[in-house]
Amino acid sequence: MTTTLNRRGILRRTAAIGLALGLSGMAATAQAEGDPVRSIELLSRTQAANPQQYQAAELIAQIWGGLGLDVSVKALPNTQLSDSVWYNRDTWDTTMWQMVGRPERSDPDEFVYNLFHSSTAPTGYNFVGWTNEEYDKVAEQQRLVIDPEERLALITRAQEIVNENQPYAFLVYPTKVFAFDKTVFDETTVVEQPGLGIKNFHTFSNITPLGEQTDLIMNSSNELNALNPFYISGASDSWMTELIWDRMMRIGPDGLPKPWAAESVEWNDDGTVVTLTLRDGMMWHDGEPVTVEDVVFSFTAPQKDMVAPMYQPFVSDITSIETPDDKTVVMTLAKPNAAFETSTLAKLNLAPKHIWEPILDNLAEGESAESVVEETRIGSGPFKYDRWITQQEVVLSANEDHWATPKIDRLIMRVVLNVEAGLGMLRSGEMNFMSDYTGDPQLLIDAADADGDLAVIEGVDIGFQYTAFNARRAPFDDPAFRKALSTAINREMIRKAAWNGFAETANSHVSIALPYWHAEGTDNMETGMDLAKEILTEAGYSIVDGKLHYPDGVTEPFAD
Amino acid sequence: MKYILSRLLHMFLVLWAVGTILFFMFRLMPGTPLAAFIDNTTTVEQQEALIRQFGLDKSLGEQYWLFMTNALQGDLGQSFFFKRPVTEIVMEVLPNTIILTMSSLIVAYIFGALAGAYLAWHRGSWIEGVGIPIALTTRAAPEFWLGMVMLAIFAFGLGWFPAGGANTSGAIFANEWARIFSWDYLSHLALPALTLAIYLQGLPLLLMRSNMLEVLQEEFITMGRMKGLSNRTILLNHAARNALLPVATAFALGIGSAIGGNVVVETVFSWPGIGRLLVNAVAASDYPLAQGAFLIITFVLIIMNFIADITYHLLDPRVRFAASS
Repeated sequence: MTTTLNRRGILRRTAAIGLALGLSGMAATAQAEGDPVRSIELLSRTQAANPQQYQAAELIAQIWGGLGLDVSVKALPNTQLSDSVWYNRDTWDTTMWQMVGRPERSDPDEFVYNLFHSSTAPTGYNFVGWTNEEYDKVAEQQRLVIDPEERLALITRAQEIVNENQPYAFLVYPTKVFAFDKTVFDETTVVEQPGLGIKNFHTFSNITPLGEQTDLIMNSSNELNALNPFYISGASDSWMTELIWDRMMRIGPDGLPKPWAAESVEWNDDGTVVTLTLRDGMMWHDGEPVTVEDVVFSFTAPQKDMVAPMYQPFVSDITSIETPDDKTVVMTLAKPNAAFETSTLAKLNLAPKHIWEPILDNLAEGESAESVVEETRIGSGPFKYDRWITQQEVVLSANEDHWATPKIDRLIMRVVLNVEAGLGMLRSGEMNFMSDYTGDPQLLIDAADADGDLAVIEGVDIGFQYTAFNARRAPFDDPAFRKALSTAINREMIRKAAWNGFAETANSHVSIALPYWHAEGTDNMETGMDLAKEILTEAGYSIVDGKLHYPDGVTEPFAD
Repeated sequence: MKYILSRLLHMFLVLWAVGTILFFMFRLMPGTPLAAFIDNTTTVEQQEALIRQFGLDKSLGEQYWLFMTNALQGDLGQSFFFKRPVTEIVMEVLPNTIILTMSSLIVAYIFGALAGAYLAWHRGSWIEGVGIPIALTTRAAPEFWLGMVMLAIFAFGLGWFPAGGANTSGAIFANEWARIFSWDYLSHLALPALTLAIYLQGLPLLLMRSNMLEVLQEEFITMGRMKGLSNRTILLNHAARNALLPVATAFALGIGSAIGGNVVVETVFSWPGIGRLLVNAVAASDYPLAQGAFLIITFVLIIMNFIADITYHLLDPRVRFAASS
C-alpha cells in the first residue's frame, strides 16, 4: 500500500491535531471519530461504450452518497480505464468492471483461481489486490482434487469466502440476447449452451438450413484482430479460431469437456497421466493427415518462451509428452489439475507441424508466433478459412472432409458497427444470425414480434458486471467497509434500472449459468441502507453532519 | 519547372513536420498500447516482451530516428494490434474511402454549384426563399441522424438499397476493379455517398451563390447583356466560370477533410474506411497504425492541394500569367 503524504496533507493533519488538542476538553460530548473519508472516485466506461454500466455507476454513486460519502463517477475510454485500473494498480479507489463469458470459463477454475489468488495480485487478474490466506489454499486445492464432489465443496467454500469479504460488489449476470431467422434455419438444430447462449461451436456445426440460403451470416460489433492458432486478442477472434482449428476436447453443450479430436481421454488414478487416442482419418485443410507428431507439436511449441505467451501457462504443467504408437499421446503432468481438460485440452488449438515448425524456426529476434500473419490458415476444424477482408467480413466454408461436416455451406461474420442497422439487416435478410447484439434487448424482441420470422433466444452469461474495490487503499482494505458499501446497493433496483431487467442479480464469481458449481447459499444477499449503516457503525465508522468518518484514531492516508 | 520543384520541396517539408508532430502527439497521449492486450497480459515477462516487440524500450529519440528513416523508405512499420504492415492495412481500406469521398464530393459540388448559380440568378424570388432554408437545414442536420433516416427510408422502408458494408456477404469478385465497378458495390455505396453528399452540398451551394451575386454586378456581365447574349450564355460561360474559382478551392480542401472525417458515415453504414481504422488505432494506442494512417491522409491532402493549384491555372488565366511572369 502506498501512503501519499503531500505537503497539504501534512499541514491539514497538523492543524487537525492542534484543533483536537485545543478542543480536548469538549471532546467528551461528541462521539469520538477519525478523519472524514476523502472524496471517492468511481471509474466507469463511458456511456457510449457501455450504457448499462455507466447508468449503474451513477446509481451507485448516489446510493453511497446516502452513507455520507462524496462519490463522483469518472467515465473513461476503455483503454484509459484499463491503463489506470490494470497498470497503475495503486492509483484508483473503485471501478466498474466486467468479466465476460468464454467457453473455457465453463469450468470455474479460471475465475476462482485467477481473480483472487494472491499470486495474480501484482500484475495478473487480481487487480483489486485482495488477498486472503484461506482463499489461496482453497483455490490451489480445488485444482488438485479430482473427485467432483470434493472439488464442489472447495469451489463452494471459495464463493463463501468471497461473499464474507466482498472484494467486489457483484451486480448482475447480464442476459445475452440472440436472434436468428427461423425460416432460413431449422430451429431444432440450434444448440443452447448455458452461459454462452446459442452462439457456440455446436450451433455452428449443427445448424441446418431449410432452403436455398445455405450461408449463415452473423454479425460482430468489433473488428477482428487476428486469426492465428497461437494468438487470440478479442472475442470475435476466438469465435473464428475455434471453428478453423480443432482441439483434442471441446466444451460440450452442458459446459463439460468432451473428447473431440481425441477419440478417448483416459486418466490414471492420481490424475497425473492422461492418455489420448487420436481420432482416425483426420486431415489438415491442405490434405495432409493429422498425426500424433502434430499433437505433440501443438502442446510443446507454446511451452517455449516467446512463442505463444497467452497459451504458455496452460501447458507449463506438462512435464512430458510421449507417443507410444501413431494413435496415442500420453501426457504427464507435474501435479494433478482438475481443470486440465477444460483449460488445456479444450483450449489449445491443434496446429499443423509441417506449416508452423518452419515458421517458428525462422522467427526474428524478439518476435513470437503472435506476430505471424499467414497467407492462408490451415487447421483441421469443421470450417476452412476462405478470406478475411479488413473491417468487413470473414468467410469460412464447410470442410467436407471433416468427420463432423457442418450442414451450412459457408459461415460469414460481418462487421456491423451500427446496432440499429444490424436489426434492420436481420429483418431484410442481409444477415440471418444476430450473434453480437449490444443494444436494448427489448428492441430486438419487438423487432422479432413485428417480423414474425425471427426467433429470439435469451441466456444468462457466465460473465458478470461488478464494482471493484481497490483493497490496496484505505478504507477499501477494511472488509467491513467494503461489505457496507456492497450492502447499500439494491441489486434488484440496479438490475431493473440499469439493465432494463435483462440480467440476474449476482453475488458470486461463479455464475448461476453454471448451476453445478454456483453456490446458492451466497444468493439473495441482504441489502439496504439501514443494514449498511449498521455495519459501518459496528466497525466504528460514524456519520457526522452527513459526512462519513473513519473509526476513532484512524487518519485519512490519501487526504488531498 | 522551378515552380514545380519548389512546390515539391514544400510538400516534403510539410510531410516531415506533420510526421514529427504525429510521432510525438501519440506518444504523449495518456494510455499505453499494452492496455489493449490486457486479456493475455498475465505476467511481467509478457508485458516486457510486448514492450520490446513494439520497440517501446528504446529511447524516444531512437524511436523517432527509426520511424523517420523507415518512413523515408516507404515503410510505416507494423501495427501493434493487427501485427501487419501499416501500409498494407491502410491500402486495403483507402480505395473505399477515396471512392466514397470522391463520389459524394462530386455529387455535392456539381449539385451545389448548379443550384447555387440558379438561386443567385433567381435572387429575391420565392425559389430562393424556399431553396436556401432547405440547403441550410440539410447542411446542419447531424450526419448520423441523416444516415439513420436514409437507412429507415431507403433500406428498411423501400428496400431499395442494402443497409451496411461495401459488398453483399460472401460475394466473390475476379479482382479489385471488378469489385469496385460491380452493381453490388455501387448499390452499397449509394446510401453512404448520398448521406455524405447531402451533408456536403451546403458549402458549395452557398459559396457559389454569393460569388455569382458578386460576379453578376461586374461590368463585363452588363457588357454581355448589352451585346445581346442569351441569359444562358451569360450565366454559364461568363458568370459561372468566374464564380467557380473559390468553389474549386473548397472542393480540393474538402477532399482532405472528408477523407479523415467520414467516421460517422462509415460507422452508421459499416463502411470499411480509413476513418474507422483511425478511431480504433487511436483508441488502442496503436502508434504505428495511427501515425501511418494520418501520414497517408496528409499525403493525399497535399497532393490534392497541388492539384487544386493546377486547376486554378486552368480555370483562371490571371493566375496562369502571374505564375509565368
